[in-house]
Amino acid sequence: MSHAQSHLSRRAFLKGAAVTGAGLVLPNWGGLAYARAAAEAAAKAKKRCILLWMNGGASQIDTFDMKPGRTTGGPFRPIQSKVTGLQVCEYLPKVGAIADKLAVIRSMKTQSPDHPDGIYHMHTCYKMNERTPHPELGAVIAKYNGNPDADLPSFVRTGSTGNGGAGYLGPKYEPFGIDRTGRLPYFSTPYLKDEDEKKRADLFRTVEDEFGVDHKAEPFESHRTAKERAWRLLRAKGVFDISKDWPKAKDRYGDTEFGRSCFMAKKLVEAGIPFVEVGQENYDSHGDNFVVHKACMQVLDPAWSALLTDLADSGQLDNTLVIWMGEVGRTPQINNRAGRDHFISAWTVVLSGGGVKGGVVYGASDADGKTVKDNPVSEGDLFATIYNALGINHRAKHYWGVRPIWLTPEGAKPIKELL
Amino acid sequence: MPDLTKPASAWNLVWDADWVTAVAWLGASRRVAAGNNLGEIVIWELPDKPGGAAPKPVAQLDAHTNVISRLACTPDGKTLISSSYDHTIRYWDIPATFPEATVPLVLNARAIEDATRRKANGARVPPALETKVCVLKPARTLTQHKEWVISMELSRDGKALITGDDAGRVLIWDASAGTVSKEWKVPKGWVYAVGLSPDKKQACVTERYTLVFDSGRHAAVKLWDASAGTVSRDLSNEKEFKGHHIISASYSPDGKTLALLRGGESGGNSGKPTLVDPATGKVLRECAPGHLDGGTDLASHPDGKHIASTGRDTTARIWDTATGKLVSEVNKPRGGQFKDWFSCAAWSADGAWIACGDQAGAVQVWSFPV
Repeated sequence: MSHAQSHLSRRAFLKGAAVTGAGLVLPNWGGLAYARAAAEAAAKAKKRCILLWMNGGASQIDTFDMKPGRTTGGPFRPIQSKVTGLQVCEYLPKVGAIADKLAVIRSMKTQSPDHPDGIYHMHTCYKMNERTPHPELGAVIAKYNGNPDADLPSFVRTGSTGNGGAGYLGPKYEPFGIDRTGRLPYFSTPYLKDEDEKKRADLFRTVEDEFGVDHKAEPFESHRTAKERAWRLLRAKGVFDISKDWPKAKDRYGDTEFGRSCFMAKKLVEAGIPFVEVGQENYDSHGDNFVVHKACMQVLDPAWSALLTDLADSGQLDNTLVIWMGEVGRTPQINNRAGRDHFISAWTVVLSGGGVKGGVVYGASDADGKTVKDNPVSEGDLFATIYNALGINHRAKHYWGVRPIWLTPEGAKPIKELL
Repeated sequence: MPDLTKPASAWNLVWDADWVTAVAWLGASRRVAAGNNLGEIVIWELPDKPGGAAPKPVAQLDAHTNVISRLACTPDGKTLISSSYDHTIRYWDIPATFPEATVPLVLNARAIEDATRRKANGARVPPALETKVCVLKPARTLTQHKEWVISMELSRDGKALITGDDAGRVLIWDASAGTVSKEWKVPKGWVYAVGLSPDKKQACVTERYTLVFDSGRHAAVKLWDASAGTVSRDLSNEKEFKGHHIISASYSPDGKTLALLRGGESGGNSGKPTLVDPATGKVLRECAPGHLDGGTDLASHPDGKHIASTGRDTTARIWDTATGKLVSEVNKPRGGQFKDWFSCAAWSADGAWIACGDQAGAVQVWSFPV
């Protein structure tokens, strides 16, 4: 699965990216000027979003919709969170302690049960088998809430988790990928010394200017633009360097790749990047679900709680929506591999910040967690809620050729109780 | 001595409340205790000879609230010790004669529930297997662990207990006093299996951290000086163990052989017992073929020459430790891509019986001709 997703990511990335003469590849860069002030202004005006993507699909019964005493319950025990009526898994104590910041949706009822289709569907809110290439969440937020004058990318993804692609929004909104150790792509490192790179750039500009006098075609301009963006990246990429701050933060976030990525996500949205996706692997626990989830939650709990706490402490949480979700939930039934399989009939997504009401549980599953009992939420409903929280019209119209397309499917409604 | 080449099924003790996770014989008696995923423990009194209707439980031990990970009994059969995911270790006084059975227990409740749910599709609801049991309460509860107590072993003389948990803590106890005599924490991950040498000088502790894809995954096998709490030999990089989660460790009665079993969802028949010289840490031999999709438990035979292993392939295998060769196999894998596990095994004191806990909700008992 992970290899296929990695391949999909690379393919989607390369399809939409400009390749420069020096081999630099730059998707979704903003304008040409490195304008911190502009980024800050945009950050003030528009909301940002961090997506914590639980790759493989986390188990709702083992996290936020526990069923103690039922045959589906499993060995984890609930603990009382900060919010009356909301119990969480004993291995999410730090998240439970800040549950007043969480909106827990316990009634996700979705349509795509497997990984590729689920990843696409839960990134785009449209089914994978449609012919229209819909843009994923990050691309939409990059378009609507990104700053076109910023040097920084408007959509950053860490890790190798799957994606939906920028779709009809075009390559400008493809994600800028960072590997899960925090390493930037190879193309972001110059292979010349600074002074030599500058001389090379000046020579390039001179040649390009002379060439441009007689060659006005768009491809030549695109090439020159991509090249200029690459140079801007070399100047702006210090934003991605968290090495000085991380030693002070790692005890709170957990000294893990996911913890480090969450800390970087906080720094990136504070720098004005409107959308950052952080993936956590390992949730696809068809076998040994409980030890796998226990290990995953011990990584998740400090990272997620520290992220929300830091955003709140810096006054950024109101303007930053943090989403916790994956492509599917997991079955209430425990299979004979001590695992839980994919499940889409009644599962859980958690929102926080960005103006979403905290301390709320929306919807409910039945006693064994097998069906939605109250307030089913579709992919479209969830995305409509997310877009509304971020100040984006969920029915914004786009065109694919001559065909009109909306950001969310017909009938999708935001959950007003959370907004 | 029993002929271990000729296993014969004695009884299938149905108790399908949930998966059976631990099993133990009570001293030299024909009493068998089993625990399950719900934290329930029941005891059967078996006839001296196999055959006839399957016996029903006579006692239920009521206190644990989560998975029973291990059961062990003192050699005199008077004290049963249980470890659990509820973070506790409990001692149970086992009377020579059980009190009057007054509490009803349905042994096939899950089968009835499943069939009832599928009745509309033509499923036939089986008649209830009913019995009555007495209920025992624990004599003592040890609460020093603050995480799932995954592993526990009682020394053969019943005097020392070793336990390990998912916080990485290893505790060695004076079993009769219930006090901790030594404690340490493994440097990384969780404790998975523990074993204590018969002279109580050496402990084998395996470690795990169960992430699948990223660098947080961890596996280790180490021999510890049990009195000093220091590592005496690290076997983690031996090719038989490197990167593998070792689910069970068992010393032979003479302490000259240590058996280790690979667990988890390992590919193919790789759930092999591996035999190690505990004095040198040298791998002596592997027992093949291993269990399909991983092993679950090991039990050293009282004769010191054989071990039994159980696995996710619904089999128990009996091995000659001198040669590593398979002596016999009890049960056959059931159908389907993934089988119901045998999750645990225990030999009777005379070595003529073996009891295996079954994921489907039963304790299967085999006898061997003497």
